[in-house]
Amino acid sequence: MTKIDIFSGFLGAGKTTLIRKLIAEAYGGEKLVLIENEFGEIGIDGGFLKEAGIEITEMNSGCICCSLVGNFKEALHKVIEQYAPDRILIEPSGVGKLSDVIRAVDGVAAELEGVQLNSFTTVADAGKVKMYMKNFGEFYNDQIEHAGAIVLSRTQSIPQAKLDAALELLRSHNQKASIITTPWEQLNGKQILSAMEQRPDLVAELLAETQVCPECGHVHDHDHEHHHHDHDEECGCGHDHEHHHHDHDEECGCGHDHEHHHHDHDGECSCGCGHDHHHHHADEVFTSMGRETARKYTAAELEFALNSLDSGEFGAVLRAKGILPGQDGWLYFDYVPGEVNVRPGAADVTGRLCVIGSGLDEKGIEGLFGLN
Amino acid sequence: MAIPVYLFVGMLESGKTAFIQETMEDPQFDSGEKTLLLVCEEGENEFEPEKFAGRNNTIVTLEDKSQLTVENLKRWQKETGAERVLIEYNGMWMLQDLANALPGDWMIYQCIMTADGTTFDSYFANMRQLMLDKFASSELVVINRAEAITDKMAVHKAVRQASRRCDIAYEYADGSVAYDDIKDELPFDINAPVIELKDDEFGLWYMDASETPEKYKGKTIRFKAQVCQTPKAGKGCFVPGRFAMTCCVDDITFVGFICKYDDCARLEQRAWIWVTAKINVKYHPIYRGEGPVLTALEVTDAEAPKEDIVYFA
Repeated sequence: MTKIDIFSGFLGAGKTTLIRKLIAEAYGGEKLVLIENEFGEIGIDGGFLKEAGIEITEMNSGCICCSLVGNFKEALHKVIEQYAPDRILIEPSGVGKLSDVIRAVDGVAAELEGVQLNSFTTVADAGKVKMYMKNFGEFYNDQIEHAGAIVLSRTQSIPQAKLDAALELLRSHNQKASIITTPWEQLNGKQILSAMEQRPDLVAELLAETQVCPECGHVHDHDHEHHHHDHDEECGCGHDHEHHHHDHDEECGCGHDHEHHHHDHDGECSCGCGHDHHHHHADEVFTSMGRETARKYTAAELEFALNSLDSGEFGAVLRAKGILPGQDGWLYFDYVPGEVNVRPGAADVTGRLCVIGSGLDEKGIEGLFGLN
Repeated sequence: MAIPVYLFVGMLESGKTAFIQETMEDPQFDSGEKTLLLVCEEGENEFEPEKFAGRNNTIVTLEDKSQLTVENLKRWQKETGAERVLIEYNGMWMLQDLANALPGDWMIYQCIMTADGTTFDSYFANMRQLMLDKFASSELVVINRAEAITDKMAVHKAVRQASRRCDIAYEYADGSVAYDDIKDELPFDINAPVIELKDDEFGLWYMDASETPEKYKGKTIRFKAQVCQTPKAGKGCFVPGRFAMTCCVDDITFVGFICKYDDCARLEQRAWIWVTAKINVKYHPIYRGEGPVLTALEVTDAEAPKEDIVYFA
């Protein structure tokens, strides 16, 4: 199996530095080939590569018109045949379009067995997002829009407001990508690679923990769900009983007797199983809100925000969870009504928080966390 | 009356804004003329028009390239009553786009390029065409943060690839400026009774003769070339020239000068020939002005050279 990782990004964004970090920390033991289509400014020095046992192949001429035309596919074929590497790192021209590279790699992956496009990342200088987007237009936006992950460099060197504005711009061009905002030296290469491969999804994690069905927003365990699918007139949610269940919040995970009881005796369901929802009240269904941010918090700030959730003013919050950058070091929190836990934790690729509940006042909660 | 245009080019963050700001703060340059400043790029630094020496300036910012049209440029000039125009050009746009949008009565008086010494090598290696495009039209390239330049010969060669005229100035952090004084020796002897060009020297001669035709006036030259028959050359004329590459295979073009030759009809298109010709400087519509016009003294068959493409450097 040969995995292919693409590293796009304008000149000077830090692609080479990122690749070096991943070689040192994340690609341990793998047989690597690096294909460069750019005359880099730092240049991954030969000595370092030799030591790491990495083959380096340079594509010719990095001018706009030449990049990626013609023999790119051919070169890729040759590299795979010649070295049978575990992984190929491709650093295309900084002024090329990522979508072109993805298309070319996809073409090769389709022709050869065991070749897989693993990740396509754009490295962007956090301080220059706005200026580059404005003046470069097409190729820069292409790199942002087609990225599976956007790794921001030099986030520590710019004011918070500028970083927030850059994030907003990036999100307006790409809703799906992982965006890595944490300064690289606080992260291990493995964390970065994992975020490049898949966007970390705190909402899914928390929904799984609370066993709230991500599709219907109801709490039910898997048995129930199966059951429920078999007998689709049965349901699991949304009535007095469940309210009762909420009142005892230490019992609110699922799968215990109480809930089973609750599920077993319920009228109708709405879990996407094809029958009517109309008799359910909206506030009986749990919704989740996930937010990403590079904003830095203090423990006191988080405790205040979380305690404020108890008032009910922002909806009936079932659970909340966060992994956020602090002034120094990272802060993790967990919240269930009446219980707030804020503690220090390891750095993550970007700050994230998730709130699950019913009738959530999303704007209000964003305000609590300083996100609007 | 013609509207003088002062054109400032260079990549994003190369110091164009600072350069224009400084120029406009100089009362010798800005003594109150009605000036239109067209800004095609929005970098980190913004203009401080309150510091400009004169008070008759209007800044117009173009949001994108689609606004660069003859109609818009005319309209802005009319609205502001500008007597002259300064343009801060977008580094990613080719100058042809500006040429296409320039109203007929606007005349480019001066074109100055700025470049950042810290990114010069990387930008030139990766965005060669955009840089060459700007070198070719500039009379001066100012390289700031010049401490970062370690190989001035490389910079010199980079600029000379596109222009043999363009001066190079290095500007250092302490404000001092050093001019590039590397001599450009031509590999052929222009004082010989017959200037002999080697196969790979055609590009260099072509560029030098285009820029300074007077230098070759009345001289005789002998070179190997390919025949190009085109009606645009005029009656009794053909173009002996070569295919030249500036940057990559996509930009290969045929270059050469008009050559009078009574017997030119016998020459086969694309055939290799030796040409011995006298050089004159004359008006020709294909040059849209004056340029070198050859008169063939002798044309004989030739072997194709080893390399059929020539370069300008």
